Amino acid sequence: MSFFTSFYNKVFSFFKPQEVSDNNVKEVARSRLKLVLMQDRTNLTPKILEQMRGELVDLLSKYVELDKNLLELNFEQEGDQVALMLSIPVIRAKDEKEIEEALKKDALLKGIKLAEDEDDADAATEENESVDTAEGADGDENCIEDSETSEEAAQDDSQSAPAEEENSSGENSGGSVNEENNTPETV
Amino acid sequence: MSGRVIVITSGKGGVGKTTTSANIGTALAKAGNKVVLIDTDIGLRNLDLLLGLENRIVYTIVDVVEERCKLKQALVKDKKNPNLSLLAAAQTRDKSAVTQEQLKEICETLKKDNDFILVDCPAGIEQGFQNAIAGASEAIVVTTPEMSAIRDADRIIGLLSAREEIESYKLLLNRVRPNLIASNDMMSVEDVVELLACDLIGIIPEDTGIISSTNKGDPIVNDEKSLAGQAYRNVARRIMGEEVEFLNLEEDKNFFGKIKNFFEKTIKDIKAKI
Repeated sequence: MSFFTSFYNKVFSFFKPQEVSDNNVKEVARSRLKLVLMQDRTNLTPKILEQMRGELVDLLSKYVELDKNLLELNFEQEGDQVALMLSIPVIRAKDEKEIEEALKKDALLKGIKLAEDEDDADAATEENESVDTAEGADGDENCIEDSETSEEAAQDDSQSAPAEEENSSGENSGGSVNEENNTPETV
Repeated sequence: MSGRVIVITSGKGGVGKTTTSANIGTALAKAGNKVVLIDTDIGLRNLDLLLGLENRIVYTIVDVVEERCKLKQALVKDKKNPNLSLLAAAQTRDKSAVTQEQLKEICETLKKDNDFILVDCPAGIEQGFQNAIAGASEAIVVTTPEMSAIRDADRIIGLLSAREEIESYKLLLNRVRPNLIASNDMMSVEDVVELLACDLIGIIPEDTGIISSTNKGDPIVNDEKSLAGQAYRNVARRIMGEEVEFLNLEEDKNFFGKIKNFFEKTIKDIKAKI
């Protein structure tokens, strides 16, 4: 019996087009290089890229159901410009109800947090700045650059998020702008 | 006549810049173009060896720059092809012996009565590289399907794209091993092109013939039977503006391989129809 199955497998593996195996060295090399090139081109550290990816997933999954593991973040060089390419496999679009629910949930989460430190909002930004300078004092120029770019990236993302929110759910969003700006640094 | 100045560069050493320069230069000259090869790897010159001209060099690029001879005197004619000549690097000096302006001037002068000026660039991204690209308006980036070579090529592409004088740059993928690609042990041509986001000008298969051709001082493009030679001749034709299909390296040559390919293709076709 086993002879036949092994024979069968042999014959068919002979005709079968290449298949992705577990020890696919090429694929390992490709994905390692992809990451390294992205870092080389942008000066972003893996940690910051991961954070950026995470925030993008959180933001987008409010509106569409997506395959989180297949979300691809990539920097492509075109001439002297670097473009951020984002490829998101969408499983399905959410309907209005679901989006509203997700936004409510989001707002609720933020509401709780907001109540905690509503008054401290301004103090928090100041605190962040002092954290940045402290990091800078540690030496390493890259460190400053990275932390700045990450902040920018985080803010860009979060600003575009509430902008969309404002359209659907009114009052909470004003508060969430402040909140989202602060979360990445305070956490 | 205003010739084209093409720099052949890679970032990483040992990926085949000099071999590529020698072969493309020879192929272009064989096709009837007037070609000058400039070796800018001062201190580590090798292009003369690959062309078998090491015993004929009297003056080098440093002698030209320091006005010990005229530019024409320093050009060494190839043994087989009078259309091809070499401006050798000095072996006893370092990269600071020639400046960017001086190299630019040499290229400008050579442009006047040659079709192609190929500049063989040293490894690295320092002064030697900056000198080599100074006079060029086109570039060929040589890389192999290996991690470090690709990473370095990406750096080079970044530097070239930031330079206005470089109007176009193309990728030449060297030392491709189809059997390793088939077994998924090596990145494919498509993988490399996708990672580097750069147009291809050539795919050169790994060829043991390169070793003996280097040992003989006779570029492999002179060997009509060699697959690598064929690939380099195709690169030369593409440089001249012809549209030439890339060699299909993936096809197995032996009888069983052909049968296997035939079946795989048929199965694919059937699947596509379904």
